[in-house]
Amino acid sequence: MTENFKPKITLFHCINAFDEAAELSLTDMDNCEMQTVKMACSSMVKDVFLLKAFEAGADGVVVLVCPESQCRYVEGNIRAKKRVAWVQNLLDEIGLDRRRLALGNMAAGDKAAAAQIINDVLKNLAELGPNPAV
Amino acid sequence: MIVGEQKPISEIKEIIAPYKKILILGCGTCVKTCFAGGEDEVAVLASALRLACKKDGKEIEIEEFTVERQCEDEFIREGAPAISRNEGVLSLACGAGVQALARRFVKIPILPGVNTTFIGVLEKQGVFTEECSGCGDCMLAIFGGICPFTRCAKKLLNGPCGGSQNGKCEVNPETDCAWQLIIERLKILGQMDNLRAYVPPKNWQTGLSGGPRKLVREDHII
Ligand code: SF4
Ligand code: SF4
Repeated sequence: MTENFKPKITLFHCINAFDEAAELSLTDMDNCEMQTVKMACSSMVKDVFLLKAFEAGADGVVVLVCPESQCRYVEGNIRAKKRVAWVQNLLDEIGLDRRRLALGNMAAGDKAAAAQIINDVLKNLAELGPNPAV
Repeated sequence: MIVGEQKPISEIKEIIAPYKKILILGCGTCVKTCFAGGEDEVAVLASALRLACKKDGKEIEIEEFTVERQCEDEFIREGAPAISRNEGVLSLACGAGVQALARRFVKIPILPGVNTTFIGVLEKQGVFTEECSGCGDCMLAIFGGICPFTRCAKKLLNGPCGGSQNGKCEVNPETDCAWQLIIERLKILGQMDNLRAYVPPKNWQTGLSGGPRKLVREDHII
């Protein structure tokens, strides 16, 4: 791991899973720099946006969505899951490593669940180091 | 429509390796519908390649553009300025689109980014199936609208092989037996008599085995 490496995380989240208070509690984490992208529904996570986050310098990307079968728009989180899996394969193919990207299901406002998902990615990043494409 | 899929990134990286300025040119018709080469796929591939090249320490400029149809000169023209300011073009069109570009821009390498696969239909969102082999002598009228040349693994023209099980082909149990489908459809249409007539061996000269084909419509030529 690179010394003094403070990972940059881009967090995509659906506004139904995640309110302002939950967002504030996470953007305050002092072991990473966090940028958030709010979406009306997680189905708006397109593959190109996830890749662009890496192009913009993110070391890791986290997508937070509602629990399966609890999407307000029925299948938004399933679409998000499939797109994240697609981009994880692309990341492996280009040598960035799929572990830089994760999707987590969380009940609305469940800060602990959100923090857990982010911490899992931070653990991966501690091993992987900074984004090698920056 | 023409169905194809994007080549693996590792292969695309090799294809574009000699170039420092490359245009990824999409096509907004068939390959867009099958998620291989429309505007969205151009953007994703461009982004993935930029990341891959940066990671490998390779300098490359990637421009993105999509025309409505790459197999027609009229539409290709819109891409001319972008094509001429790049060292090479990675086309995400079908093989016809790639060749139409190569014909028009003789001095610029035109490289394929898609494996053109078949003529097919969208069976349901995200699933495409092969339906026609472009044989040049369509006989769908007698087969109830289901093509045995394309959809029967043995290309049988005079009834099933007898090996199908539960409506699935014995060659590939994932595929419906074309002859089962033909018979079911002919029953619905009340046209089972179609099967009494002997269908002679296919004259493949109207297909690709007669060499590349050309269609001329004299009434449209000035
Ligand atoms: S008979 Fe020939 S033209 Fe007709 S669907 Fe089959 S392959 Fe295509
Ligand atoms: S099982 Fe049906 S589709 Fe398969 S080879 Fe036999 S007749 Fe053709």
